Amino acid sequence: MSDEARVPLLAMRGITMRFGAVEALVDVDLEVHAHEVVALVGDNGAGKSTLAKMISGVLQPDAGIIEIDGEPVTVPTPQAAAALGVATVFQDLALCENLDVTSNLFLGRELRSRWVRDDGQMEEVARRILRSLSSRIPSVRSPLSTLSKGQRQSVAIARTLIGSPRIVVLDEPTAALSVVQTAEVLTHIEQLRNLGLAVVLISHNMTDVRAVADRIEVLRHGRNNGSLDVATSSYEEVIAAITGAPTEPRPAQHAPLRSSTTAWPA
Amino acid sequence: MSRRAGATAGSQSSLRLANRSLVVDTVKQYGGLTQVELAAATGLSAATVSTIVRELLAAGVVDIATTTRSGRRAQMVTLARRVGLAVGVQVGHRHLRIVLGDFTHEVIAEQSLPLPHEHRVDTTLDRVALLVIDLLEQMGSTLEDVVGLGIGLPAPVDTATGTISVQDIMRGWEDVHVGRIMSERLGRPVYVDNDANLGALAESTLGASADRVDSVFVRASYGTGAGIVLNRSLHRGFAGTAGEIGHLQLDPQGAICRCGSRGCLDTVVGATALIDALRSAYGSLTLRDVISRANDGDRGCAQVISDAGATIGAVIASLAVAVNPQCVVVGGELAETGELLLAPLREAVNRRLLPNRVAPMEVVLGALGTRAEALGAMLLALQSTDVPLDELDRDASAPGVLR
Ligand SMILES: Nc1ncnc2c1ncn2[C@@H]1O[C@H](COP(=O)(O)OP(=O)(O)OP(=O)(O)O)[C@@H](O)[C@H]1O
Ligand SMILES: [Mg+2]
Ligand SMILES: [Zn+2]
Repeated sequence: MSDEARVPLLAMRGITMRFGAVEALVDVDLEVHAHEVVALVGDNGAGKSTLAKMISGVLQPDAGIIEIDGEPVTVPTPQAAAALGVATVFQDLALCENLDVTSNLFLGRELRSRWVRDDGQMEEVARRILRSLSSRIPSVRSPLSTLSKGQRQSVAIARTLIGSPRIVVLDEPTAALSVVQTAEVLTHIEQLRNLGLAVVLISHNMTDVRAVADRIEVLRHGRNNGSLDVATSSYEEVIAAITGAPTEPRPAQHAPLRSSTTAWPA
Repeated sequence: MSRRAGATAGSQSSLRLANRSLVVDTVKQYGGLTQVELAAATGLSAATVSTIVRELLAAGVVDIATTTRSGRRAQMVTLARRVGLAVGVQVGHRHLRIVLGDFTHEVIAEQSLPLPHEHRVDTTLDRVALLVIDLLEQMGSTLEDVVGLGIGLPAPVDTATGTISVQDIMRGWEDVHVGRIMSERLGRPVYVDNDANLGALAESTLGASADRVDSVFVRASYGTGAGIVLNRSLHRGFAGTAGEIGHLQLDPQGAICRCGSRGCLDTVVGATALIDALRSAYGSLTLRDVISRANDGDRGCAQVISDAGATIGAVIASLAVAVNPQCVVVGGELAETGELLLAPLREAVNRRLLPNRVAPMEVVLGALGTRAEALGAMLLALQSTDVPLDELDRDASAPGVLR
């Protein structure tokens, strides 16, 4: 298992992305292992969602490589990402209000036996997945419109488990949730990790991040600005990395070395 | 759900009874449900659910409360509470757990929340307050229905002042009047105690040592602690440090403990020590990883837990010689590994204990699992509250705990 641990499940290297004049990402690296929650943090516009969209096949980088299990891959479409075992919950959840929980979980991926939808089988799988997340959604037949914001987030996270993914990307899953709902989502994230998945968690809430992440990767102005081990780093260190004071910047391989006396923000 | 009560066998009335208890169990499981959700969750027809809910309402078993569901008003079916609610809170090293219950000791809602390593007192107490209010609201209740809150902390507590009585065990928390701050904030009485004491209270009231006069509860977790029950009441000691076995010296040459002493039990079996022992072979694990891997049959992780069991057992033997309990109940996160922890612990205790021919001491797993401490906090709040007794007498059913 220690051999396995050395090859990251997901590796992104030298990722660069421009939107016209905006440098959204410059030479960014990210590694995530199985059984690991990596938090991606940084101020608004730091490039977090852009990086997540590349893992999910929504955007393609201008430069840089993505590896899964050490093998270079291309992720031209969301379907390609799904085939590679990547599941994503975007900032807007993209669920269907008028459908029930089961239908939302299987949206576009309905189980069929002899060309007819196998509703019984889908409900069974839906119950099993919600249970594995310790979810409290009362019924897999509830229409989505009757669920709370937190329960919808649970459905969106449960949805990622259909098709047995290996990598789950969550973009701000606790934004605008109440504390009880946040508690449920954070508990789900712990469960995903327990199931052995690699989780990328984007969040602005440092308490949430430090509660469930193993490692924090900081982005600032589209660049890596520190990698912190949650078990040994303090709240203050994380905030310092986000707001500019460079704490242990990663040794940059391609970019010129930044001196720690550089004035931030540039 | 597939647990549809069969319409074939059994008389009409036993079917009605079965459907009734199915509805009650389902309400318990989810805390509060609309009738539509109840129908979906039980597999019963809407008409049957409606009839049963009406009967249960008349019998005073359930309440109907109006709450909001995604901005809409909804009629929620909840369990009826006879006198008032109590809140139990366990603040752990990496988790917060809250249970909401009533004087029948029935838990009607619960929630846990992962916490950061070395979480800060202000943020955590904030989250406790918000979670309590949120949970109450979900049940269609308010703080006014709450008779009191119990809060368990992983440090020795002076229950008279509701503060931590020893320096350096829980950094940043020592100078905070947890009890006063929370009762000012929530406007309800708040009782603070040590988590192992609360585990002992719960297990000796509702759990594995419920029929025992003298017992010890051992909490094997990020640190180790014990709660001592003598003559059916909790023995806290003069300022709340009784049972702090995590800081008994085990190795005079050992590492310096965070309490400032050397070679404490916690420096040998605390989370940091267990994780460090595995680091060269496994890299960086969390305590939860060690536990789940041990349960999955990983030999290295199982070894570390078994060795911890033997070490804790040796210390418990000394405590048992001093106290002579009828039984030792083992809880805390490490107890989730069951006999992996318990067998070597029991063996170490028995090897050192004076063999008592009259009544050999038992070493057993806790019956309440990871919620023992939060339940104990809830019990503490209930026991600290005066109740109009006639109200309680109305309900002759035995106290039970929702599982
Ligand atoms: N489709 C797009 N077209 C043009 N610019 C874009 C596009 N998407 C993102 N950007 C820009 O790229 C930068 C990074 O945006 P991104 O959404 O990745 O940030 P973020 O870290 O997710 O921020 P937030 O915390 O606000 O969600 C921003 O300057 C943003 O305006
Ligand atoms: Mg974003
Ligand atoms: Zn000590």
